[in-house]
Amino acid sequence: MHELHNPEVIFGLSPAWFAGSLFVITYLLIVTERLNRAIIAMMAAALMIVSGVLTQEAAVQGVDFNTIGLLTGMMIIVGITRDSGVFQYLAIRSAKIVKADPWGILVMLMLVTAFLSALLDNVTTVLLIAPITLLITDTLKINPYPYLFAEIFASNIGGTATLIGDPPNIMIGSATGLSYNDFLFNLAPISVFILLVTLIPIYLIWGRHLTADPKLINKVMLYRENDAIKDPVLLKKSLFVLSLVMLGFILGHDYGLMPATVAMFGAALLLALQCLPLKTEKQSAVVTKSLADVEWLTIFFFIGLFILVYGVETTGLLELLANQVLGLTGGDKTITALSIMVVSAVASAIVDNIPFVATMIPLIENMETSFGGSEQLVPIWWSLALGSCLGGNGSLVGASANLIVAGFAERSGQPIRFLPFMLLAFPMMLVSVLISAIYVYLRYF
Amino acid sequence: MKASEVMDTHPLTVKPDDTIACAAEFIMENRYRSLPVVDDNGCYLGMFGINCLLKHVIPKAVFAHGLNNVGFIHESFQELFDRFEEVKDEPVSICMSQEIHAISPDTPLTETMLQLYETRLSIPVTESDSCKLLGMISYFDVGEKILRAGNHKNA
Repeated sequence: MHELHNPEVIFGLSPAWFAGSLFVITYLLIVTERLNRAIIAMMAAALMIVSGVLTQEAAVQGVDFNTIGLLTGMMIIVGITRDSGVFQYLAIRSAKIVKADPWGILVMLMLVTAFLSALLDNVTTVLLIAPITLLITDTLKINPYPYLFAEIFASNIGGTATLIGDPPNIMIGSATGLSYNDFLFNLAPISVFILLVTLIPIYLIWGRHLTADPKLINKVMLYRENDAIKDPVLLKKSLFVLSLVMLGFILGHDYGLMPATVAMFGAALLLALQCLPLKTEKQSAVVTKSLADVEWLTIFFFIGLFILVYGVETTGLLELLANQVLGLTGGDKTITALSIMVVSAVASAIVDNIPFVATMIPLIENMETSFGGSEQLVPIWWSLALGSCLGGNGSLVGASANLIVAGFAERSGQPIRFLPFMLLAFPMMLVSVLISAIYVYLRYF
Repeated sequence: MKASEVMDTHPLTVKPDDTIACAAEFIMENRYRSLPVVDDNGCYLGMFGINCLLKHVIPKAVFAHGLNNVGFIHESFQELFDRFEEVKDEPVSICMSQEIHAISPDTPLTETMLQLYETRLSIPVTESDSCKLLGMISYFDVGEKILRAGNHKNA
């Protein structure tokens, strides 16, 4: 363990009050979006050290490098893979499988988005699927809104299904040691069910009215999906590495391999496969581009947050909060799990779910003794994962992927407005949380 | 040497309310890559060019949504024209680029050439203290003068 400075008073406040105040102010600044969130988190982390709540050594210990490594490794792999054109291929192929029928396309694009969001990450998925969606709806001369709405839901539901699908799951998996398979067996079945249920309101509101001119449908059928593959060699290398990485996630846990090791090894292997046939100068350019594609803002945001939350944790504030929560729920595990799910969902719809989950993890860890061991916390972890991932569907600001899709919609002349989206999305999100609550209750209690 | 000494003082122009079809025909007939758009008072407003036409015949998803992989779309001239037809009666102003900034007549020649190199299009010259268009400078205006200087030396 690290050595704490353990100052008694910081700027006239006790360490717990200082860390708590810094935490609240940081949260508020993140919500206002006046300053980039990575800058805010890094500043807060630095203040935790400058004020003496943490030493620099302790701050480094607070960073979850498994989360950071997994995110960075997957970003490199996805960044290289997307250049092959495989995302566009999948989107066009799926549209053609259903003979370019407008409702069929919506269902297929939703499934593709959910599938890719589960296996890769949902931001990259919507970044690549949304433009194709708009091309197709533009060609068919139909309103893109239902398609983009469905893709937002699919990306967040798909991301819920696996350990690597959404940042909250990555953090939960890393903090608890729950494996890729644990997530797959416990969260994927309910995610598939929720995805199918989500199709019902989408069909009733828009799906049954979707039609297109047969001539325009024929235009979509004339797209040659094979031509979307820009680099077949890169595609083969990417699919090979992705398969190995997935296998590593599934089997690695039993051999003590953490997901970050698997993802980083996959990234290095793919870079090596890509660079081996190239001259040294060209290799530098390829590696530089691949590393530049990593979303460093997100990575530094995570690092700052980990230090901030660790600072709060070391003052004993989160333990105090955990006891307060247990007091409110009467120490009942079922009520605690379901309350955490609902609160996570509502909070994630309003604020960024990353800082929320980063705070909730140590808070839940502090409940371990009260519930009689870490095994007893497992249903609570699933509740947190379901609530925080699905909650992202509750509003337009609930997840990064939502905002990206909204940006595309804006440029296509069919803007997704905050309130109309929320009026429909929030109740739909609550239904998905209700289904999850029933699932968790029936399966774990 | 200054910009005023190499500019064409009688450039062809289009008005902001001319239709895209009309302006397109004009640049195709004269093989221009771009033309300055000026209002009734001769004030420079922007450039209308071949890029605008390309932007409107290529599927919207490419420029509006960053679809950089379009190898799977195979279209006929008729289909491209159909897309052009949707905007052909719109005014030039909706399609005018305002990214090309005018230079003043006193701009030194080297700086003018650097601007030409960077914009890759003809550049407008306006009065120093107003937007009034005085002329246009193309690669050809400058290139011709450079070559002529060489001919003088050799003669």
